[in-house]
Amino acid sequence: MKSFSFLRLSVWFYLAIFFAYLLGPLVIMSVTAFNSPEFPRASPWECLTFEWFSALFQDERILNGIWNSILVGAGTVVLSVAMGLAGALMLTQIWPKLRATYYTIIIAPILIPGVVLGISTLVFWDRINRMLGLGADSFLSNGLFLTIIGQSTFIASYCMLVLVARLQRYDIALTEAALDLGATHAQAFRKVLLPFMKPAIASAAVLAFLASFENYNTTTFTFGEYPTLTIELAQKVRYGITPAISALAFIIVVLTVFVALANEANIRRKELVAAARKDATVEELESGRLRLPNFFSSNWAAVALVVVACLTIATVGTATVYSPQQCIADIREQKRLETEARIQELRQRRAEEAARRAAEEAEKGDDATGGTSTAPATGGNNSGFGNVFDPNALGGGSSDAEETDDQSSAPSSGGGSSAFGGAFDPNALSGGGSDGN
Amino acid sequence: MPSFLKEFFKRNGVGMGSVMLGLVLFWTIGLIILPQLSMLDFSFRPNLPPPEIGGPKDVYTLENYKYLIYGPEGGSQDYNAVDLRVFFRTLVAAVCVTVFNLILCYPIAYYLAQTKGNHIRIFALMLIIPYWINEILRAFALRIIFGETGVLNNLLVGMGLFDTPFDFIRNDIALYAGLGYAYILLMIFPIYNVIESLDRNQIEAARDMGASWPMIHRRVVIPYAKPGISSGCTMVFMLSAGALAAPQILGGPSSLWFTQLIYQQFNDNSDWPQGAAYAVVLLVTCILLVLAIMRLFKVNMGDIGK
Repeated sequence: MKSFSFLRLSVWFYLAIFFAYLLGPLVIMSVTAFNSPEFPRASPWECLTFEWFSALFQDERILNGIWNSILVGAGTVVLSVAMGLAGALMLTQIWPKLRATYYTIIIAPILIPGVVLGISTLVFWDRINRMLGLGADSFLSNGLFLTIIGQSTFIASYCMLVLVARLQRYDIALTEAALDLGATHAQAFRKVLLPFMKPAIASAAVLAFLASFENYNTTTFTFGEYPTLTIELAQKVRYGITPAISALAFIIVVLTVFVALANEANIRRKELVAAARKDATVEELESGRLRLPNFFSSNWAAVALVVVACLTIATVGTATVYSPQQCIADIREQKRLETEARIQELRQRRAEEAARRAAEEAEKGDDATGGTSTAPATGGNNSGFGNVFDPNALGGGSSDAEETDDQSSAPSSGGGSSAFGGAFDPNALSGGGSDGN
Repeated sequence: MPSFLKEFFKRNGVGMGSVMLGLVLFWTIGLIILPQLSMLDFSFRPNLPPPEIGGPKDVYTLENYKYLIYGPEGGSQDYNAVDLRVFFRTLVAAVCVTVFNLILCYPIAYYLAQTKGNHIRIFALMLIIPYWINEILRAFALRIIFGETGVLNNLLVGMGLFDTPFDFIRNDIALYAGLGYAYILLMIFPIYNVIESLDRNQIEAARDMGASWPMIHRRVVIPYAKPGISSGCTMVFMLSAGALAAPQILGGPSSLWFTQLIYQQFNDNSDWPQGAAYAVVLLVTCILLVLAIMRLFKVNMGDIGK
């Protein structure tokens, strides 16, 4: 049995790694939304702040993007659920010889790269527009129309797959019975088939909206004057990232978790209620004294839901009364002190080195060029430039100057000649500069 | 009116029938077939300013495809080495991402499908939640982690594994991790669906006969899960070869993805026919590659999408 428990242990280990890969990035991104540095980072932790959320809500382009995304999403949901339903119904009726071809055609958009779909939509509707002799500002070349059309091409396939799964369990005799009883075709559709399909239509609509909301590849070719949220985000991320984006991501993560837990809690409750009904005796059912399970009893999702809700309220509550000014000022003061201490240390070390070098030189005489690569007199200048090109110096900024300094001083002790380099270390300069502020 | 149409209308009623037929025709012909054909047609035309379209200069030409292979006319090189290299790199990298995802996801899918219990639902929820979050934001999250002063570098330097921060972005590690990350769910679900329907008794029987775990997987589970594996692999391969967001955000400054070339042709060079030609090349190559691999592993097209 030892090998069995070893197997179990390794399974859990694997699961842990897997979910760390899956969820770790989201957790870290969420954490960066509350950290004060301008560049989103989780470590080193500086100050708890909520300013990125207010920065987010003041960003016109993001708000506009959200609005456009909702418009596009609504259009896409309507169009693709309708087409998906028609496509699914057609699949059950089509001439058997055509079925394989038809299925391949309607499933193909899922596999066609989004970029290709975007391009083909753009090119095709541009041509139609020209054929009809409409100008460049007609509704056909309007970003909203093109984006909805482009996204619906493949989202309708997703909807079709969801709807077909439910349609397979539909008994066609129900429709026939309705028709026999004198219903018109439209009535039979509306009163018999549609109520049966309702859950599947709801999940297809949610799926369609989510797919539309997060689509980038197709939209990037078709959006025109209606940049959706995804497009705005992509442009922001490509040209410099700020924690305001993390804040948006955090909001989306919380909403997602909330909806998922609510859904799960609801399903679980229905199951529990059904189980309780099944176990109940006839007497209990008739007297109406059946005790249905409590909302929270053995329903982990409901408990988690309430915990998340409480945490959210607590966070919002903290945000309204909390001010990070003191902490930010403290951090600045601390950085200033650190920088000063470092400058002092550098000065001291430089003085010591210089003294030692002077002593060595006095001993060695004119042998100075032999051991080290450059003469100490010019060495200071050279290494000063050398550090400018040090990649750490560029990325590091002043906050992790300690780390950078350690690295830049590592070669200096080895090379001997760059002891003077500290004076020209850009970090020291930028640190000195921030003193004045 | 042909008899099958008459039959169709009799079954669905004229009103409902025509709405249904109209929607299906609009979708299949208006949204799927014609745009693709139009793109194909467009890719064989020269890049002309709008007034000259349809004029005498608007003739079919192979110029755009030649450009991909030979580069600009009168160029210094015999072949368009830059674009071709990007093209092959994209294909090879997409295959690598697919294989990586398969290896990563197969055990998880197997575990989720063959284990019963409440915690499986929690796992399923944890799997799905990342996929409700925007593609761009997922790439952004990885960029925070892999950045030069990112969490991973701080960790590695802090642990003393590296003395200087490692540039994950320039070395494309961030890109591959991001692409793999983006499509995990698309690999897990098809495999999970198939393995879930595998009778546990088959595995028990194999174990009773003395088969080892690797043997059981090789002879029982994998042959059974082949349709799921192939549809997962197809989706991951097609989507990662056609990905645009992850390469734009996580790609190094010097390395391009083929879709980025297409994007540049459209948005920066305004050379639509050239972009369309590149898109056609990407689409056709990917389809051929998928078909060839499916032939190699003896999987039918009909199994995909089940």
